[in-house]
Amino acid sequence: MIRVRIPQKNRELEVPGPRRVMDILAAAGVRPTTVIVTQGKRLLTKDMRVEDGETVEILSVVSGG
Amino acid sequence: MKCKRCRGATAAVDLPSHHAAFCAECFFLFFRGRVEEGIRSLSLLSSSDRVLVCVSGGKDSLVLWDILMELGYQTEGLHIDLGIEGYSERSREKVLAYSASRGKTPIVVDLRAEGIPIPEASRCARKTECSVCGTVKRYFFNRVAAERGFTAVATGHNLDDEAARLLGNLLHWHKEHLSRQHPLLPPSEGGLVRKVKPLWRVSEYETAAYGFLKGIDYVTQECPLSEDATSLVYKEALSLIEDKMPGTRAAFYFGFLKGNPFPRPVPAAEEEAAAGGTARPCATCGAPTFADTCSFCRLREKVRRGAAPRRP
Repeated sequence: MIRVRIPQKNRELEVPGPRRVMDILAAAGVRPTTVIVTQGKRLLTKDMRVEDGETVEILSVVSGG
Repeated sequence: MKCKRCRGATAAVDLPSHHAAFCAECFFLFFRGRVEEGIRSLSLLSSSDRVLVCVSGGKDSLVLWDILMELGYQTEGLHIDLGIEGYSERSREKVLAYSASRGKTPIVVDLRAEGIPIPEASRCARKTECSVCGTVKRYFFNRVAAERGFTAVATGHNLDDEAARLLGNLLHWHKEHLSRQHPLLPPSEGGLVRKVKPLWRVSEYETAAYGFLKGIDYVTQECPLSEDATSLVYKEALSLIEDKMPGTRAAFYFGFLKGNPFPRPVPAAEEEAAAGGTARPCATCGAPTFADTCSFCRLREKVRRGAAPRRP
C-alpha cells in the first residue's frame, strides 16, 4: 500500500500501489491544481509512479483570507 | 516526464497552463523570469527603491522576499503579529527563522502590544476577521513604510489571489474596487506609499513549488479565522475551471489588466478613496485618509470602547 499523508487536514490514507500521482490525488479526492505532492525533498509531477510501500505527502497551495 | 527546457533532467514541476514541465533548476529560471517580467512590464520597482516586504510567514510572502533579494532589490521584511492564538506564534517563528537564515532582522508589529489583536477587533467592530485584518495591515504597512523612508510596499499576492478578487468584484459589480484592482498602486501626495504585487504573474502552485524546491520553511497551516473567507469560494470556482481548461485563470486576469474598462483613480488609494477627493492627515493619528478620521483609528476607538468596563 502507498501511505498518503495530508498534514494540513490531519488526514492519512492508504491506496494500493503502484499508482500514478494523479490517480492518488483522485483517490484522495483532491484537485491537482490545488496541491503539490512531495516525497521527502522531492516534488512529484502528476504523471510519476509511486511504488507500493512508499509514502507521499499532499500539501495544499491555496491560501485564503 | 523530462524537463522541456534542458531536455535532460526529470521534470519536478508540470505546468499544463504553459504546456511545460521543468526540472528544479530550469523552474527557478522560469519563475524568476515571470517575476522579473511582471515587475518590468508594469514598472513596479526600480533598483533605487527601498522595498518594505510584508511577510506573514506563509509561502507567498516568504517566496516574494526571497526572489526580490535574489533579484538584487534593497529589501526589509515587515511582520505583523495578528494576535491569533497559536497561529500567530507559529507564523512569527517562521518569519524569524527565515530572516535569520538570510542575515536579516524583520520589523515586527505586535497587535497585542498595540491593543488591537484581530479576534478582539473583529468582535468589537462587529466585522469579519478578514475585514478588520485588512484595515489593520494596510494601516501598518503604510505607516511603517512612511516612517522609515521606504519607497515601496510589496505584498505576496499572486495570480490566483488577484483572479479570485477579480471574480468577486465582477460578481458583485464593485466598480470602485475594480477601478483600483491593479498590481501597482502609485504613491499619493497625502502620504500613501506606492504598493506593488510583484507575484501577479505567477500562480499559487508555482509559488508553492518554488518555495518547496528552494527549501523555504513556511507556515502550511492556514489562518484559522479565514476558513469562511469568500475569496476561497472564488478560488475554488476558478480552480474547477482551470482543471478543465488550463490557462483560463491567467487569461481572465491578464485580459482584465489589458482592457480594464473601469477608470483608475489617480492617485490610487485605500478603501476611503471611494469617497473621492485627495488624501489628508487623519485628525487622530496623522495617517493619510479620505475621511476626517482614518478607518484604523475608527476601528481602534471601537476596540477601546469595547474593552472599557461598562458603567454600573
